[in-house]
Formats: sequence, C-alpha cells, structure tokens
Amino acid sequence: MAKSSVIVVGQSRLAEEMIGLAQAADYDAKLYPDADAAAISSSLVVETSCFGEARKREILNKLDSGSPSAVILTSCLGFSTTRIASWAARPERVVGFATFYPLKDKKVVELAKGLRTDEAALTAAEVFFRALGKEVARAKDAPGLVFPRILSLIVNEAARALDEGVAQAAEIDTAMKLGVNYPEGPLRWADRAGLDEVLAVLEGLYAETGDDRYRPAPLIKKMVSAGWLGEAAGKGFYEYKK
Amino acid sequence: MSDKKIKVGVLGAGTMGAGIAQVAAQAGYDTLVYDVSQEFVDRGLDRIKQFLKGGRERGKITAEQESGTLARLSSSLKLEDFAGCGLIVEAVPEKLELKREVFQKLDAITPADALLATNTSSFSVTAIAGAAKKPERVLGLHYFNPPPLMALVEVVQGERTSADAVERAAALLRDMGKTPVRAKDTPGFIVNRIARPFYNEALRILGDGDASVETIDNVMKAAGFRMGPFELMDLIGNDINFAATESLYHSFFEDARFRPSPIQQRLVQSGNLGRKTGRGFYNYGQK
Repeated sequence: MAKSSVIVVGQSRLAEEMIGLAQAADYDAKLYPDADAAAISSSLVVETSCFGEARKREILNKLDSGSPSAVILTSCLGFSTTRIASWAARPERVVGFATFYPLKDKKVVELAKGLRTDEAALTAAEVFFRALGKEVARAKDAPGLVFPRILSLIVNEAARALDEGVAQAAEIDTAMKLGVNYPEGPLRWADRAGLDEVLAVLEGLYAETGDDRYRPAPLIKKMVSAGWLGEAAGKGFYEYKK
Repeated sequence: MSDKKIKVGVLGAGTMGAGIAQVAAQAGYDTLVYDVSQEFVDRGLDRIKQFLKGGRERGKITAEQESGTLARLSSSLKLEDFAGCGLIVEAVPEKLELKREVFQKLDAITPADALLATNTSSFSVTAIAGAAKKPERVLGLHYFNPPPLMALVEVVQGERTSADAVERAAALLRDMGKTPVRAKDTPGFIVNRIARPFYNEALRILGDGDASVETIDNVMKAAGFRMGPFELMDLIGNDINFAATESLYHSFFEDARFRPSPIQQRLVQSGNLGRKTGRGFYNYGQK
C-alpha cells in the first residue's frame, strides 16, 4: 500500500515537529517553508502560520492554485476557521486546528469546522492527527479554540502584572507553579509557545468579539515588535543561549 | 538564626489561622493563637492536632516533632497577650472594618519593630495598614490553603510598608521552610489575579457554546494542567470561586478582563456549589 502523503507549510518549530511526527507515523511528509504553489501536490496540506490576514490569505491563495483538491488544515490561532476558509476558493476543504509548540507533550489536538467546512474534511483531519498518536477534540469555531485561548489570557494577565511592576518574571512564574500547581510558569510557557503565537490569539479574539477583555498587553505587542519572541528567538521574558 | 527566638502570634483559629500557626510551631517558634471564643480556639487547635496526627501516621513527621509542635502552641482570648510577639499574622474573617480595628489595637500594644501581617486575599494591604500609626511595619503575608502543605507565601508590600519589614518577613518565612515571593499591593496580588482567566475564560468558552465542560477539562489536562478548570472550581467551591472573581472585578473597577460569569452565578444561586454539596459542574452523588 502506498504511503499517505502530507505537506507541511511553515517555518516554525511546530512545522518542523509536525514533519518529524508524520514521518515517524510512516507518512510521506514534506516540509515547505512557504506555500510555493508549483511544488505542492498532496491530498493533505497542513498550514501552520500565525501571520496576519494579508500573508495568511496569500498562503491560502497559493494552496488554491497549487493543490486544489487537498484538505487544508490551517492553524486557527489568530482567526476563526470560517474567516480563513473564506480566503480559499473552496472553503469546504478547510479545517482549523489549534495548538502551541511543542506537540510532543500534548495528548490532544483541537479541531474546528468553519461554517462551510465539509464533515469529510474534518474526518480527514482527525485521521491524520490520530495517526500521529494524538487524540482529537472538536470545538466550535473561534480563534485559539480552548487551550491556546485560555493560556494566552493567562499569559496576557501575567504580562500586565509584570509590566505594572507587581513582581519580577521569575517570581510570577514561581508563584503560579507553587500557588496553583501550574506545570510551568506562564511567562516561561509563553516563551516556549512563542509570543507571536500568543499575540495572534489575543488579537484574533479581540478582533472577532470586540470585547475589551481580550485587549493584548502593550508589553507583549512591544516584545513581538522587538523580535523578542521567546525561546526560538533567544530572548523573550527570559534569555536563552542559542 | 537569632530571629528564631521571636514569638509568633496568629489571630483567628479558622482553617487558615490554624494552618499558619502550625507552620510556625512546626518550625520551632513559640506560637500564640487568638480567637474570640474558647470554642473557636479549641476547634483550631484540634484541627492542628488532627493534621499532625495524620502526618505522623503517614510517616511524614516523628512523634517527637508532633509533641514538640503541640508544646510550642498556646492560646489566648486577649489581644493584650500578643504584646510580646515579634510577628503577628492576622487571619480573622474578611471584613475590612474588623481588620482595621485589629491593626489599630496591635499597633498600640506592640513594640515598633514587631511585624504586623494580614493574610487578606480580598482587601488592599494599604487599606488595612492605614489603621496603624506605624504602617511601615504592616505587610501582607498571603498563605495558600492548606498552609502546612503549600510552600508559597506572597509577601505583599503596601504603599507605606518598609523594605526592611518585607526583608525580615521573607527571612522568617524561609526559616519556616516557605518560599516567599514579593508582590506589590495590587488587586489579587500575583496568583489570584493571574489564575483568573483559567476559570473565567473556561466559563466564557462554555457560555459561548464553543466546547463542553468535559472537553474543556480534558483539553486542559492533556496540555499539562493537573486539574481541569471545572473540576477545580467544583473542588474550591463555586461560591468561593465566584466571590473571588467578583471581588477582583470590583477591585479593578469593572475591568472587562475580570467580568464574572452568569453561568457560575446561576450555579451558586442554585446551591450546587461543587463537591461539598455533591453537585456542581459535575455530579458527585447528592449529599
């Protein structure tokens, strides 16, 4: 039986990790740093970016011309799946997934259908993640779904407290680990997930709902502008040796 | 360390007060416990006895440690008896006027270098310290429940608390085997504030119909949290959890980030408070 194939598009650590997992699950898996239309031909494409609308839309357009029949799994951290799907010629084949790097210590990947997504596309997405050894959970369509949404709001509050001088970063993380048994301090956790990804969730929820509770902390916005995205960049709330 | 000689006072023999007294006595400090009636005092001391007995039976402490801790505990119904304490931790009911009254008295009867601490979680330390003529030695020591098992204590510096008082309190806590973390006097300090979205956003996701109680709990546990938000709210008690959110919401002048959830309010109104009533977000078998 021929191997199933999958194409992963993106430049993040999550994209690299997903290729590794797919290959380990015996997929014919290829990584493309960007959605170079000519190169892509597969029945399944995983698009992992957390870019803003213009760049994300461009990726969807390229996938439209490069692999017109593939099921597209797109990271829905920053937008509703319905919104992302609206940038594709056939929204029926677009499924949203939400997770933060790293995947290896997460048992569950969350998936969402957009309003126009086919059930068959969602099933294909479930088959893929189960093959990678993950359980899947379905959530209704909103930016960041469940875990990335809740963690991003915790990080947002921690960043505000830090910026206000309530306590130092390491003290905030210690307090959350000892006081409420968090497996990781929220600021250290954000550094691993990537501050750009956390900001994408906050901005997505803020834009989608117009609710002030999602207003991103100015410190997070500044850090993303400065390129202090966390572990992968060598600096975030903490410093890392490259 | 020479501070070892100070005497510790704890006001209020409820769950928190008894636990705080146990921590001090277990670390070798002579500890005096206050409450308004002998009945309350006895109940608190009994709680400590049970806790220590359980610890001894599970091999966590020796019989000598148990008897030594109990020997270092004494009690009084008179605040005047606390004049000789080097550190007094107040854990009386969360009523601002009551707390201010207590600090006014403590301020008058204790020497100027005695540390006066409040275990409040819902009021500003500054508001309580304002009742004292010497507010620079008044600070917050926010213990977590149950104090003998939870290493964290938030050391809260009010607007007029001296750096020296914070330093000395932190050193005492370290000597008692605790991990002090300093925080500025802001609503919810560190933990109660930053943990809010864990509960509140889960409630919002549920309220929006985005995912079920079970799905949210499963996803959060699969991501590394020890308990799901709804399991945890049921354990804490939805009345307690809702009150904490509401208090923080008002302390931040109705900031949308802390807006409480009507779903949790309904649960509280219904009397389904969580595990303690047999039913909350989950059913534990009616009591």
